[in-house]
Order: sequence, then structure tokens, then C-alpha cells
Amino acid sequence: MQKRSDEAHSDEALIAYLDDELDPVERQHVEAWVSADPAGRERLAALAQSGDLARHAYADIINEPVPERLLAAARGETLDGETLDGETLGSDRASQEAQILMLKRPERTAAPMQRRWYYGLAAAAGLFGIAFGGAGSYLGLTLFNTAGSAGRQAMASEANNIWLDNAAGYYKLLANAGDNKLIDVPATNDPREALQKISQSLPQQMRLPDLKPWGLTFRGARLIVVDGRPAAQLVYGTDNKAIGSLSLVISGSKQADMQPTFDRRQDVNMLYWRHQGRAYALVGQTDIGYLWGIANDVAWQLDAI
Amino acid sequence: MSFRWKQAEPVSRQAERKTPASSRFGDQLIAVLPRLRRFARGLTRSVTEADDLVQAACERALMREHQFQEGTRFDSWMFRIVQTIWIDQLRARSVRKEDDEVAEERLGTDAPVRRVEARIALAEVREAIDLLPTDQRATLMLVTVEGLSYKEAAEVAGVPVGTIMSRLARARVALQQQLDAGGGIRGRTKNAEAQ
Repeated sequence: MQKRSDEAHSDEALIAYLDDELDPVERQHVEAWVSADPAGRERLAALAQSGDLARHAYADIINEPVPERLLAAARGETLDGETLDGETLGSDRASQEAQILMLKRPERTAAPMQRRWYYGLAAAAGLFGIAFGGAGSYLGLTLFNTAGSAGRQAMASEANNIWLDNAAGYYKLLANAGDNKLIDVPATNDPREALQKISQSLPQQMRLPDLKPWGLTFRGARLIVVDGRPAAQLVYGTDNKAIGSLSLVISGSKQADMQPTFDRRQDVNMLYWRHQGRAYALVGQTDIGYLWGIANDVAWQLDAI
Repeated sequence: MSFRWKQAEPVSRQAERKTPASSRFGDQLIAVLPRLRRFARGLTRSVTEADDLVQAACERALMREHQFQEGTRFDSWMFRIVQTIWIDQLRARSVRKEDDEVAEERLGTDAPVRRVEARIALAEVREAIDLLPTDQRATLMLVTVEGLSYKEAAEVAGVPVGTIMSRLARARVALQQQLDAGGGIRGRTKNAEAQ
């Protein structure tokens, strides 16, 4: 019994020596022991070999492609396993990113932005479980499953796609043109004046969200046409490269209210929602976390004023 | 439908927001995924279960991002989450005791496949590691495969460093004995044939 205990103790020392976990005194002790004892050296070599084998046995896992569902989980996104079949799940990442992720408003917390945005979105997604948005079959299937009239839903989804494509396209036009070049009504001394001019061309009065708290300055507005309807594109700029320029597209809408939803198309991020006869899209290159916070602010201001 | 959003984050707090850190958090999480998968593979001995475990760990990590302390090892924190969930799952399924039996059943039912794998030395090593008790296997994965220090492994496992040392020694010795004895599949196949 004593011998087994000694052996165990010796094995611990040898393994700790191999793992470089001994202090200098203990290390010298082990080195003196194995240099004087052939059996000790043999034991050390065997244990070293088993360790090497264990490392090699699992080495290839590191080089395996990580499944998309894990990447999505790490990003805080939700892949709806009930609507995305295995083939879809196995497709390339680009196509996955093109999928609409149904994201919901997070529960209010004391410090919402202290959490990673996608946690809030994912958690909220679980609360509401709605799906909507751009990627063809997924969108269609989801809508068909959640509404009574498939035809109307398909038409609505198509209209929504066009609306979003237009909103994204106008943002890209603006971004590619450079500072303020395409703005119809630049914000001069009084931003409200620009808004008033734009509002004259719209069926409903506009309100101007104040995004200065986010470091965003109102640069002006454009009158655009999205899905055949007049709309306003409010343009904001900032020196904060983490946010960059943003545009808020606002138009009238006859469709039902819709919770804020994330989409990405034409290489820009979008958060869009509908509320009380208006459709909104916040469009920009910035991280969705910023977009979410800003959209939250916009919606609050427009709702509260 | 109520649509009232509450006031967004106070404006003056923009500079305090943790978006850059959160970006790092997400980046770190994605970067450590391969190692999490490997660790989980060692724990579960199953590709599918391992990925399920990692997915659950990601979700929990995002929920508890605020608990992660900057300046500490992110991988260790994630290993701890993986291990904690794994232990919870074992307890919930009450399979801790049956764990090794399950492994034996798997090995028995997949005999043709296993025999092919048996020709590959490293597959044998995995088989030998699969035979280790859960605690020893987890310790071996953390220290020997993932390279954590004893102290870090002890923090992950929630046990004293001495326990890590003894578990590791038992695991390494058992592994070496398995390999010396032509363990893993070959040993079991011989045993099965003898029976």
C-alpha cells in the first residue's frame, strides 16, 4: 500500500515536472531522481509520450470547420431550427447572413447597452418568435405559416422587400456620393426648416429625432421614393467612426405595426419597424448594437413627442 | 399592440458603453469555439453532443457576459461554463453512473466502424481517453490537451489544485497503461472475444 502511494506521489511529481508546474526546488529534486534512477527515466518518458499522444489525438478537431449554428450562437443570433432545415443550416455563412433574423425588442434593463446587443435581440426573439424579412423562401414560408392569407402575406413581403431594398440603396447612394452632396434640403442654421420643407411633400407631418446624444448631427433630408411612395430620408453624420453616417427613412405604410427587425442587405445594416401607419428604417454601416440603441431612441422620441 | 419604447440609454453614457469590449467579447467567443468543441468532444465523446454543449455554453456566456472579468482568461471562463453545463446535464439525466456504460454500449454497437478506426493509432488514444472517468477525462482535456495550468484548471473545475494533480496523475497513468496494454479498442475487442 505504501508502495502504491509512493508511486502515485512519484507520478504526480513526474507529471507536474512535465507540465512545468514544479517550483525550482521540486524541479531539481525530480531531475536528480530521474538522472539517478533508470526506472524513473523510463517512467518519465512513458508519461511524456502519453501526454503527447493525448494532445495529438485531439489536434485535428481544432482544424475542423465550426458549424454555422455555433457561429450563430456565438454571435447571439438565432437560427430557427424549425423553419431552417438541415440543408439550410449547412449552407455557407454568406447565405446565412442573408437570412432574416427575427429580432425583438429586449426587455428593459437598468443598463441595456452593457450587454452585448445580440443577447438582447436573441432573448427578445425568444419572447415573440416572429419571423419576417428578406430571404426568399424563408421569408415566404414563415409568413405563410403565421398568417391566414398566404397571398396577401406574400404580396406584403414582396412589398417589404422592395421597401427595404430602396432604403438600403438610397443609403448607399448617399454614402458613395460623399458628404452632403445628394441632400435635397441641407440642415442650415435651423434643422427644423429642412424638415418642414420635406414634410410638405409627405402625406404626414414629420418629426425630427434628436440624435446628438449619440454624437450624430442632422445633416439634412432628402425626398425619396420607396416602393412607389414618397418618403423622407433623414441624414445624420458624425465624426465617430464607430457609428459613421446614418439615415432614417420614414414613409407612410398601410401595413400592420411590426416590431423592430434586423436585416442586412447591400452590405448595410438595417433596423426597420412599422408603427401607427408609418414605416421606419434606420440604415448604416455601424454595428447593429449601435443601430439598436439609436433605433430605440428614435422610436421613443417619435412615440413620446 | 403597445409600441412604446422606453427612453434609450442616457446620452452621457455613450462613452461608457461597452460596445468595443462587447465586440471583443464576441470575437473572443468565436475565436475560442474550436477549442471549446475539442474540450466538449473530450467530455461528451460525441460530436453532436459536444456541439450541443458548446452552443449551450455560448448562449449562457452571452447571458452572463457582464460576469466576465476583463483581464482574466477568457478561454478558462468558457471552459468553466462548458464543464458546468456538462455536469448539470449529467446530473439532470442521472447518467453520471451510467456514463461509462453508455460508452461501452456505443463502442459495442459500432464495432465494424470501430475496428476500422482501430487501425489508426490516434483514434485508439481517443478511445483510451474515453474510458477514463469523467473527472479525470475533463482534467486531462483541460491541462494536457488545452494547456491550462493546474491553477487555472482548478478554477475551471472548482476543485483544489491538489485534486487536479491527483486526477491528472491517475488519468495519465491509466492512459499510459491502456496504451501499453494495447488498450482502447484492441483491448476491448480482445475482452469481448474472450467472453
